[in-house]
Formats: sequence, structure tokens, C-alpha cells
Amino acid sequence: MSSNRESEPLLECSSVERRFGGLVAVSGVDLEIWRGEIFGLVGPNGSGKTTLTNAITGFYPPNTGTIKLNGKDITGTSPHKVARLGVARTFQNLALFNGMSVLDNILLGRHIHMHSGVLRTALYWWLARPEEMANRKIVEEVIEFLQLESIRHELVDGIPIGLKKRVELARALVAEPSLLILDEPMAGMNQEEKEYMARFILDARAERGVSVLLIEHHMDVIIGICDRMLALNYGEMIASGIPRDVIKDPRVITAYIGDGHGE
Amino acid sequence: MFYRQSGIRHRSYVSDSKLFPIPMDRNLVLFLFLLGLAAPLLIDTLYLNSYVLPWLIWTAAALGLNLVTGWAGQLHLGYAAIMAVGAYSAVHAARFGIPWEFALLIAGLASAAIGSVFAFAAMRVKGLYLALTTLAMQFVMDWVLSHVPAITGGSHASLQSPPFKLLGQPITSDAGLYYVAFGWCVIVTIFVLNMRRTGLGRALVAVREKDYAAAILGVNSLYYKIVAFATSSFIAGITGALLVVTFFFLASPEQFSVTVSVQVLAMVIVGGLASIIGSYLGAALILLMPGFANSLFSATADFLGWQMDPETLAHIPNAAYGALIIIFLMVEPLGLGKIYNNIRDYFLVWPFDQMKK
Repeated sequence: MSSNRESEPLLECSSVERRFGGLVAVSGVDLEIWRGEIFGLVGPNGSGKTTLTNAITGFYPPNTGTIKLNGKDITGTSPHKVARLGVARTFQNLALFNGMSVLDNILLGRHIHMHSGVLRTALYWWLARPEEMANRKIVEEVIEFLQLESIRHELVDGIPIGLKKRVELARALVAEPSLLILDEPMAGMNQEEKEYMARFILDARAERGVSVLLIEHHMDVIIGICDRMLALNYGEMIASGIPRDVIKDPRVITAYIGDGHGE
Repeated sequence: MFYRQSGIRHRSYVSDSKLFPIPMDRNLVLFLFLLGLAAPLLIDTLYLNSYVLPWLIWTAAALGLNLVTGWAGQLHLGYAAIMAVGAYSAVHAARFGIPWEFALLIAGLASAAIGSVFAFAAMRVKGLYLALTTLAMQFVMDWVLSHVPAITGGSHASLQSPPFKLLGQPITSDAGLYYVAFGWCVIVTIFVLNMRRTGLGRALVAVREKDYAAAILGVNSLYYKIVAFATSSFIAGITGALLVVTFFFLASPEQFSVTVSVQVLAMVIVGGLASIIGSYLGAALILLMPGFANSLFSATADFLGWQMDPETLAHIPNAAYGALIIIFLMVEPLGLGKIYNNIRDYFLVWPFDQMKK
């Protein structure tokens, strides 16, 4: 898939560094994601992948370096504002609201497109209902897209993990983001579920025009669906480029498998 | 059986998001509403105005506190102080000659303003620290009420509430006062019912459950905490004012002491966090059970011919009431509302229990 090369990338991180006390979690990371791209981010545990996403989404702003979204500097912007600028993400350990139904969880993804006020709630039938129904329609499209119809009224607490991951993807997609960050969306899945998820990600790009930053350990997925990728180790970039080149990089092999097994 | 879900098909999103999608629930609520309307005809005036009316008012108060504690997840131990702000604002406004409709509105707005100050504390601290901060504010309010004669007339004084009028109509009859309380309780209930199905309710629950996940969805948790405190305080203010207007007829500081704050919180917790039916049941238990236990116990003692000194007679029902609360919370920590839901879920599939998920 050829990326749509415009004058500026959708996301641009330059020399991002994040420290926690004396520990340097991420250092000197440069990253560009172009519109329509699926960009893979790999690295062993503790290599700074999630820290980098947290830097982009504003949870842990970088100590040095800048992050630009659509050419606009968003370094240090708080997470709820980053969301409004068009970034959605899922979490490695799932961050669904367990006390709510699947439908309500996904409807929350529409929050940035809705006006959720007290007056509207008080005058529900006149002020809130039209908006709720319009957004419900959009949510139902994504529910259909991700095949969640049968569980929409179930509590999130009671559904299997594979479906939870899909609900979280749905919640991120209904926000209509320009950048979607998926933090290990296939962790703990079997081969069939992984293939489903990979198909959903490709379809999301094709039908909804999102660009994706995908963190994943499954190399087959990365090679299968990513246009470009970046490998991190101990918070530093060790290789970047087209997946089939990156995975042949001796440093990547060393980082993942260890010395003595490389070619 | 009665509650069957099969055969109920919603053909539009509007119908799917009804307040009570199951007809049985809707009919039950309608029945209770009509019962509430007919209550002055059915219940003796004495019972109506000394039990049912305060129960409805305190239910409204419990719903208000439930909004901030149950839905938004912010512990609040200064609720009575906020009710006091509303009560005194309304009475002063009415004494100043402002019509009661506006006096009540002023009560709500004044409480919302003071309640938002509580919210600024909530921004910085969480959990038990927030409980302590709000408790401190309750004490500040207690002190102000007893030390600023301009507001209360001094610690032992009470402030007479002017005759109550709505829309130019003097409301003095027992039934009239009851309908005011009933109407307010219904309004608050409808608001909270609607809140559960709008973005506001979802955002509050999101802030309560996982604030980082809420943030990435664009929910500004600080803003929604303030909204929760302000809305709950608005309800508290009008409820406090109506409590004075329809029940106490005069405002005095001890009506809004820290004990009252703890009682309302007990209603919310015993009833069930974020449960509407729970607020009704919790208010009933906390408010009516002591008196009920008392009369039940003295009737039993009379019947069995027990001779007891008055002190024992006064304390045993209290102990029984405390034990009852403990038993309820041990049986179902999620409160009376959850017990109701369990019973409802049971009948939803009865007699085919194996269908239950």
C-alpha cells in the first residue's frame, strides 16, 4: 500500500525523550506516520513502546523533543484535549468501563462529538434525544462493522477477552479519529481471533480512513499488515523501515531472540 | 413470568432507549405514580405528612447525593451543609418578599455555587481525603450557621419560614404540601433516570471507573466532577428549602448538622450506589425504620407484659435497627437496590431458572 505523501506527516515525533527519575524509558525517538499508513511499533518488554504512546497521548509528556499532529505542536497537551484533536487509542490491559453495557461503552467513544450537559439531560425529550439517536446510529454502524450486534446490551464485565478487545476497538473507531493507536490489540488471542482483528484493522483503514500506530508482538501480524515499522530496545530506536527489512536487522534479532541465534 | 422479555422487540432506537423497555416495569412505575397521586385519599393525614412526605423529600436528597457519590464516585460528607445553604437562601429570599418560585431557584443556585467550591477540593484529593475535606466544609458551615446571626439569628435561634405560595396559590393544606414534596421527588427521579441514558451519565460513570480511559475519550474529568457537584448541590439546595417549607416550617442549624450528612450518606450506601430504587428504599430504611422498630418493640413488650425501664426500651430498637443495616449490607453489599434487582431478575425468567445467565 503506497502512502499518500503530502507535505507534512499526520504524526511527527522528533527526538522524544521521557525519563522516570533516573530511568530513561524512551530516548531520541523520531517517528513519522503518514496519512493512510499502518505503522508498526515493536520491541521487547520494557523497551518503551507504551511509554511512547503515553507521550503522544499526553499521559506522560516527553521531557524533551516535540510531537506534532497535522503539523500542530501537541507536546504536553492533556489527554482529553489530544482526544479532541483526533487521536484515539486502546490499552494493552483493556480500559473498558465494566459497570456499563457494551453499547454505553461504545457510545462513550462519541463523547467528543456530543454535548453532554445538565440542561440537555433535564430536557431529555426535547434537547438530548435527537443527538443521542443520531450518535446511536453512528455507533450501530461500527457495531455492525465489528460484528458486535448480539452482545450490545450485555455488561462488558461478562464477555470474553477477544470480544472486549473488539469493543475497545469499536469505542476508539466511533470517535472518528485520524490517528488510531492500538496497544497490543491481539495479546492473548488465538490465531483465528488474530486474523479477525487484522482484517478489522485493514478494513478500518480502507473504509474509515484512519491511520494506525500498531504496537504488537506478533511478527506475522506486523509483516502482514504494516506499511512501515519501528523497532525499539531499551528506549532507543534500533531499526526502522519496511517490515521485511527490519526483521532481518541483526540488532532486532538480537533484541528479540538473543545472541547466538542470529544469522 | 410477569417480566418476560421475549416478544418485546424494539424497532427504533427511540423505543430501544425507553426508560423502561419492559412493559411490566413501566406499568409498575405507573402504578406507583398513581398511588403517589392518590396517597392523600388513601393515607391518614398524620401518617402522610409525618412519614410519607419526609420520606419523599429525603429520597430526593439521597438521589442528589447519589449523583455525586454513586454515579461520579466522589465521597461527600458535607451534603447537609449544602442543603442548609439552600434552606437559608430560600427562607431569606422569601422573607425579603421574593416569590417562592424564585426563592427556590435562588436556593438551588446558591447551593450549586457553594457546592462547586467543594468540587474544587475534589479536583485535588480523592477517596478518603475527599471525604475528610468535605467533612471539614460541613464543620465550617456548622460554625457559620451558629456564629453568624445575620443568617440564622444565632445558634439557638430558628428562622420562621413565610407562608408558602406557588403560582399565587397559598399552599397550606396537608395534601398541598404533600403534592409539593411528591412533585419535587418525581422531578428529581426523572432527571436521574434520564441522566442514566445520556452522555452526562456515561461521562460521570467513566470518570468514576477509570479516569485515564475517560480522558483518552475526551472526557475532561475535572469538568465533570464540578458538574456532578454543582448538579447534586442544586438538587440539595431545593430539597433543603422544601424540607423547611413543607416539613419543619422553620429553619434551625441542627436540622443540617453533620449527623444529617452521615444519615443521607447512609441512605445512599444502604440503598445502593448509583441505584434509583435503592435511594427510595435506603431513605425509607434509614428514616422510617427507627420509629417503626420502636413502636414494634414497645407493642411487643406491652403484649408480652414485659416490665422495662424506659432507657432499655429506647435503646433496644436502636440496636436492632443498627443490626438490620449490618445484616442488609452483609447479605448484599451493593445495597437494597441490588436486592430488588436480584428479585426482579429472578422473576424475569421464573419458572425457567436455567435460562438465567
